[in-house]
Amino acid sequence: MEWFFYAVALPFALLFLASAAYALYWAAKNGQLKEFEKNAASIFDDEEPVGEQTDYFPGRRPANETRR
Amino acid sequence: MNRAPLIFLGVFLALAFSWTGIVLTNQVAYGNLTPIYDDAEEKIFPEATPGVAQRGQLVYQDLGCIYCHTQQVRRLGYGSDIERGWGERQSVPRDYIREKRVLLGTMRTGPDLRNIGARQADSTWHLLHLYDPQITSQGSVMPPYRFLFEMRKIVGEASPDAMNLPSSYVDGTPLPPHSVPTEGYELVPTERAKSLVAYLINLKDTYAYPETFNVFPEEEAEAEQSEAPAEEGH
Amino acid sequence: MASALRIAQSLDPSTSPTSVSRAELSEIDASTKAPALFFLISSVLWLLAGTAFALISSFKMHTPEFLGDYEWLTFGRVRTAHLNTVIYGWSVNAAFAVAFWLMARLSRSVLRHPTLLFVAGAFWNIGVSIGIFGILRGDSTSIEWLEMPSYVTPLLFVAYALIGAWAIITFRFGKSKHIYVSQWYILAALFWFPWLYSIAQIMMIFEPARGTVQALVNWWFAHNILGLWFTPIGLAAVYYFLPKVLGKPIHSYYLSVLGFWSLAFFYNWAGVHHLIGGPVPAWVLSAGIAASFMMVVPVIVTSINHHMTMVGSFSALKYSPTLRFIVFGAVSYTLTSLQGSSMAIRSWSEVTHFTHYTIGHAHWGMYAFFTMVMFGSIYYIMPRLMLKEWPSAALISTHFWATSIGIIIYVAALSIGGVLQGLALNDVENYPVFMDIVELTKKYLLSRSYAGILITVGHLAFAVNFAWMLIAPRAKSSTAPTLFRNPSSMVITR
Repeated sequence: MEWFFYAVALPFALLFLASAAYALYWAAKNGQLKEFEKNAASIFDDEEPVGEQTDYFPGRRPANETRR
Repeated sequence: MNRAPLIFLGVFLALAFSWTGIVLTNQVAYGNLTPIYDDAEEKIFPEATPGVAQRGQLVYQDLGCIYCHTQQVRRLGYGSDIERGWGERQSVPRDYIREKRVLLGTMRTGPDLRNIGARQADSTWHLLHLYDPQITSQGSVMPPYRFLFEMRKIVGEASPDAMNLPSSYVDGTPLPPHSVPTEGYELVPTERAKSLVAYLINLKDTYAYPETFNVFPEEEAEAEQSEAPAEEGH
Repeated sequence: MASALRIAQSLDPSTSPTSVSRAELSEIDASTKAPALFFLISSVLWLLAGTAFALISSFKMHTPEFLGDYEWLTFGRVRTAHLNTVIYGWSVNAAFAVAFWLMARLSRSVLRHPTLLFVAGAFWNIGVSIGIFGILRGDSTSIEWLEMPSYVTPLLFVAYALIGAWAIITFRFGKSKHIYVSQWYILAALFWFPWLYSIAQIMMIFEPARGTVQALVNWWFAHNILGLWFTPIGLAAVYYFLPKVLGKPIHSYYLSVLGFWSLAFFYNWAGVHHLIGGPVPAWVLSAGIAASFMMVVPVIVTSINHHMTMVGSFSALKYSPTLRFIVFGAVSYTLTSLQGSSMAIRSWSEVTHFTHYTIGHAHWGMYAFFTMVMFGSIYYIMPRLMLKEWPSAALISTHFWATSIGIIIYVAALSIGGVLQGLALNDVENYPVFMDIVELTKKYLLSRSYAGILITVGHLAFAVNFAWMLIAPRAKSSTAPTLFRNPSSMVITR
């Protein structure tokens, strides 16, 4: 009976893989995978820009901080 | 770009997948498991739980016994449940179908209780153990359940339920004075204590269902079972 | 919101775009102030109550006579009260506050009608209070993670429905064009929780399933509460605060999305590994073990992402309290998740299942990961709500060191004790007497109590600092809110 298991399982596994591959292809084609890095920067703005730490212990700052 | 519908769909499918697989499929597969009628014994198994034991289960639930005691025996060869004498066979789903709430448990700070009624059927032992676990099992971390007992004045004849406490623990230290009844007083278990004990004594899966056979190759099982089951601690 | 409009109108139309966005962010923070504070204050009170219950139950584990005569405080009840206070009291309240604050900020949306959230919060907290009271008086259901008696379910459900709806409304009417990954996690968590909770309530309490199907529902629910509610909220906070505090975008946004979907699809099957060896169909267990193993994917992906974001900025840990807690939490997430996957292996589960090892693992996840992340988030959010600094840096340090060292000792003690206990349980030849195994674990249980005392010290430091911040007047000269610059052109009137 073991061949039966493989006869059923293999096509299913292939089908599953194929659908996953197709889903990825579809997502890529429709631009779902674009602009990722832009999203990463969406939490920053002019006032709290990239490159500026926003949290400190009260009254404790690095000595070389010149920004403020 | 608005990905909200895509996210929502994925999120829905993700949980729907396991809900179908774990909950729904099993509910369909064995959610309607029925008791078995044994022609030879002319009885239905698992047997109905007596009312007093059902009330005892509620006490078991409200005191939170489940947090230290499991009620499931694992198969021979996986863990040492059967070698410890916690059961003659592994637990199967049919064992639990009469229970309103299934209390499998996840902790074994204390021993498994699935077959406690089979290995300790003496209600006096259970009452002493509940009153002060150190009397029967010195060194235990089980809390005392003295509040399930009543210290009361003897009026007329002494109660037949009155507890007979030993004067000292196994190691010779005397029981603390506040837990021993003084002259003219007696210690009696409340209804809750008695129903809890009835529940515990009723806990035993001794009937062999068809599905409990051949779960394990027979010779191997016999070979392993011939080793003497270990004694339950005290 | 009339007052919000007034603030917007009060701004000079000729103000520079930067102060407009500044004003917008402050306005959003301000709109969340009342409900967020309400949830945070409740959560801190629950944390203290939960800590007290924890200490009592921990002492009882090695000294059973401790408070032994009080039925209300018997181990089985006080331990349950501990779990429910820290989960439904502390964690859920903190999660609500953090989720709301993040949602409003990330959607660039003012929180509308915050009074309704108050009502929801009141319902939730009254529900939990009645539930804990019910557990202590003996109405516990004895269903793990679902112990609160059924009479509080409607209260909790109404509260949750309001809160979930509000988060979605905030998201829907937001101005942000992007959906940041933290929002993915929060939206998903908000959607998953009611599904899990209602199915579990129906199939366990109102119309109980027959036999061990109950156990499957129980662990499908209980593990998913961790995996699909607390984990996403915790990760949402890490994905926001880690880059935000550092001022550095997340290393790879792509990885964070991959992490999200692999978590969504694998975590929800994993819960049944709590039943390995139990009387349930073997194929379900195998599926659960496979899923537990697949969880390695999102965990590794997430930890690579967090680590690569941190690389080069470790010195910032010295200066930022938020970052310390968040990084501690993120590292714990990786480690505890890998430990969790390993515990699903049949041969390892044979040893660790049913032992204190599992308790150590649970605290590693819920405390060292989730709770620490919530602490970090609160350290960031509070100054922006109150527009003032935390009063004491020393108390923050005490809080961090006491809780982090405490939880490390805690997990170490229970892990070692648990493995020894598990090995002994399986070794009938050398440990035929059960009481010897109990004896073996006692010293580890005692160490756990010491760790608990240390953690309590940390919580007290936190609570004192928190209360102090609430009542202390705002120094006029302060540049607060902490860490914000206040453009002189702008005056925030509240």
